Amino acid sequence: MSRARPARRLGVPAALSAQRLLADRGGLAFSVLFYVVVVSALSGLWRAAAGRAPVAGYSAVALTWYIATSEAAICAIQIRLIEEIGDDIAAGTVAVELLRPLSVVAVRIAMQTGRALARLACLIGCGAVLALLVAGSPPSGGAVLLAVPSLVLAVAANVSLQHAVAAMAFWIRDARSAWFIYQKFIFILGGMLLPLEVLPSALHTAALRLPFMAMAYAPARLASGHFEPGLLLVQAVWLVVMLAAATAAFAAGQRRLQVVGG
Amino acid sequence: MGMVIEAEGLTKHFPIGRGKHRRAVEAVAGVSFAVEAGERLAFIGPNGAGKSTSIKILTGILHPTAGDASVLGFVPWQQRRQLASRIGTLFGQRSQLWFELTPRQSFRMLAAIYDIDRATERRRIDELGALLGADDLFDVPVRSLSLGQRMRCELAACLLHEPEILFLDEPTIGLDLLAKQRFREMLVDLNAAAGTTIFLTSHDVADIEHVAHRVIVINHGSVIYDDSVAAMRQHLLATKLVEVGLEHPTADLALDGVTVLEQTPTLLRVSVDTTRRSIRGVLDHLLDACAVSDISVVDPPLEQVIAEIYTAAQ
Amino acid sequence: MTQLAATLRSSMADAFARRASFWSQVGTMVANDAAWIAFWVIFFHRVGAVRGWDQHRILLLFAVLTTSAGFVLGVLSNTKRIPQLVNDGALDEVLALPVSPLPHLLVRRIDSINLGDVLFGIVLFAVAGHPNPERTLVFVVACIASAVLLTGFLVATGSLVFFTGSGQLGDMSLHTMLLLANYPAEVFTGYTRALLYTAVPAAFVAGVPARLVDHFTVAKGAALLTAAVVMAVLGWTVFSLGLRRYTSGSAWSRG
Repeated sequence: MSRARPARRLGVPAALSAQRLLADRGGLAFSVLFYVVVVSALSGLWRAAAGRAPVAGYSAVALTWYIATSEAAICAIQIRLIEEIGDDIAAGTVAVELLRPLSVVAVRIAMQTGRALARLACLIGCGAVLALLVAGSPPSGGAVLLAVPSLVLAVAANVSLQHAVAAMAFWIRDARSAWFIYQKFIFILGGMLLPLEVLPSALHTAALRLPFMAMAYAPARLASGHFEPGLLLVQAVWLVVMLAAATAAFAAGQRRLQVVGG
Repeated sequence: MGMVIEAEGLTKHFPIGRGKHRRAVEAVAGVSFAVEAGERLAFIGPNGAGKSTSIKILTGILHPTAGDASVLGFVPWQQRRQLASRIGTLFGQRSQLWFELTPRQSFRMLAAIYDIDRATERRRIDELGALLGADDLFDVPVRSLSLGQRMRCELAACLLHEPEILFLDEPTIGLDLLAKQRFREMLVDLNAAAGTTIFLTSHDVADIEHVAHRVIVINHGSVIYDDSVAAMRQHLLATKLVEVGLEHPTADLALDGVTVLEQTPTLLRVSVDTTRRSIRGVLDHLLDACAVSDISVVDPPLEQVIAEIYTAAQ
Repeated sequence: MTQLAATLRSSMADAFARRASFWSQVGTMVANDAAWIAFWVIFFHRVGAVRGWDQHRILLLFAVLTTSAGFVLGVLSNTKRIPQLVNDGALDEVLALPVSPLPHLLVRRIDSINLGDVLFGIVLFAVAGHPNPERTLVFVVACIASAVLLTGFLVATGSLVFFTGSGQLGDMSLHTMLLLANYPAEVFTGYTRALLYTAVPAAFVAGVPARLVDHFTVAKGAALLTAAVVMAVLGWTVFSLGLRRYTSGSAWSRG
């Protein structure tokens, strides 16, 4: 396999995916609307909760910026991505791709990340405006700036892990239930619906050790005013681990296809 | 023997486009015809000719922009539900049957919908099983049936309530040759056994040859031919196309009954009027006179048949 | 057996025929709902009551929501598919039958995955809703009203496909409605809260029924029933108008 210019080989599919997403106005509008509704509702709930006193150290303003960010990290990614990958595997589309002299999983991850980043850009814009209108300026400008690269890492890590999970379709042909369960882990242990500090302490400690925290909690923690640059490092490590897991899973799947047939 | 279908000046416009580009497409323009009870009629035309639109008007799914129609005495678009109990419809790939259930289970539901009592339902299923040779299929889940087998069961489903007219819109699409043949035979048998009027749309010329007594050709929304199949057979189905691959250029051909359509150094295409010269004779001549590398004999495409009808009509 | 009942029975048999997948789907939904419960329990454990809502009442809300929405999306599953059915031409199949199109269409297919929600909702009420005869009666009636309202709303927004050609509005409305119904309307303020009782009546789907079970008042009950009737009429009307447009061929391609 040629090692020439891997950045271009991955960058081009990523950019093309991003372009296609931005061209689909209807779909984009849907994503934005969904995001706005979710953030309004959920942050409204938390603001009401923090009305008299901060919750787990988060003020109402902080919670609003938290939710706006955690939801952006998750809504940026295609819903049902795991199912789609699973369907592609079951339908044999991936088997055909494996014939090409490229790393299938790297290209796929690049494409999906490209798409997600394009959507993320729109959501960040909307989210920032919404949070400003509803709660006011973020508790810490510097931390919010850090949240941006953190969001990028979060999205990349999430997409990678979803590919690793979806690879089970090489074995069991139906990744649907896997998606549901994955989502639920992200909702709570990933800190999408609530800051991890709200969890009972044992669960809190456990959640901090799992990869899901890199996918929503990390950027949200930053945006809510906690200047903790160490989180970016943690995310970077998880990203590498997830990429390795996805690559290994697809490689194993490829070996299985060769043994069993498409 | 009365008229079961009467159409008078049926016209249908569809609006297309937006704003200042908005215009009306005339899908059906002044179609008139009458069908007697017990007839087998093929409604033929190329894609976009207005066949599906016409059949949708006659079954009450669409209402026309202008014109009248009467099917079994009902105005289809005004009395859709009453008409629906008296006619059967089979629209190409559409399905009345549940995928996971056996046809018999779907028949139970349809019996309730058409208000058929149990005894009649059982009798009908037995009759249809015999008529369609589908006895052994009725207790197999539909998902396990081949397309041809499924179409037989779909046919049974739309005949359960003993309709007087059966409307079929492109029913043989997707079927292999053998299945198409069987399907056509079933329609003929049905018509013979029960006197059910058959109204069939198609763009397959073979449907005319094997099913219909009478054919109406529709093109660009208008009827351009309405006659018995016997007459049409005499007229046009007598033409065949012969394509010859040549190893080297050949002299011009002049044969009675043979028209040269195209001639290049490597290809010769001719049209043969088989009422004036037999195909056998033409092939013999070609094999003698030309250096033939490949030869094929085909029916002319429907578009050509229609074009010929059109010019013949003028 | 009436036409509708017979169709419904066949839809049920069809869904059950895929037995292995049926139970795994139901199981998945139950797990899904359990995760939401976990969220609420953690939330209220930390926060206490919020604007008159506590854990008990939220669980009531969730019980109504899963029962009602589970029924609508599961048993009347075509409610969410109207744009697709219209664009695929599946509506023609229904028009070829001597039935009233909308009811037949709605019972024509059952999605077993949502039946798990119904089961979950009922069990949740039994376990956490302090059921007594009176509360149970209110729960049942409120769920029915909620289901009627949700169906009417989804049919109305889905039927916009007859006018716009695209199912996106219907899709957006479905997801927005279901999302908002998860939260008590009190969480919102001002215009947004008013919206939840009117244009996007998510408050009536689960919030109001939950309050009714806890503390029944005639005024609230009447409001719920009125909203349900209004939505049902709206749904029927928009569909009928759309169907008229469909049969006049304004949303068509040449054939």
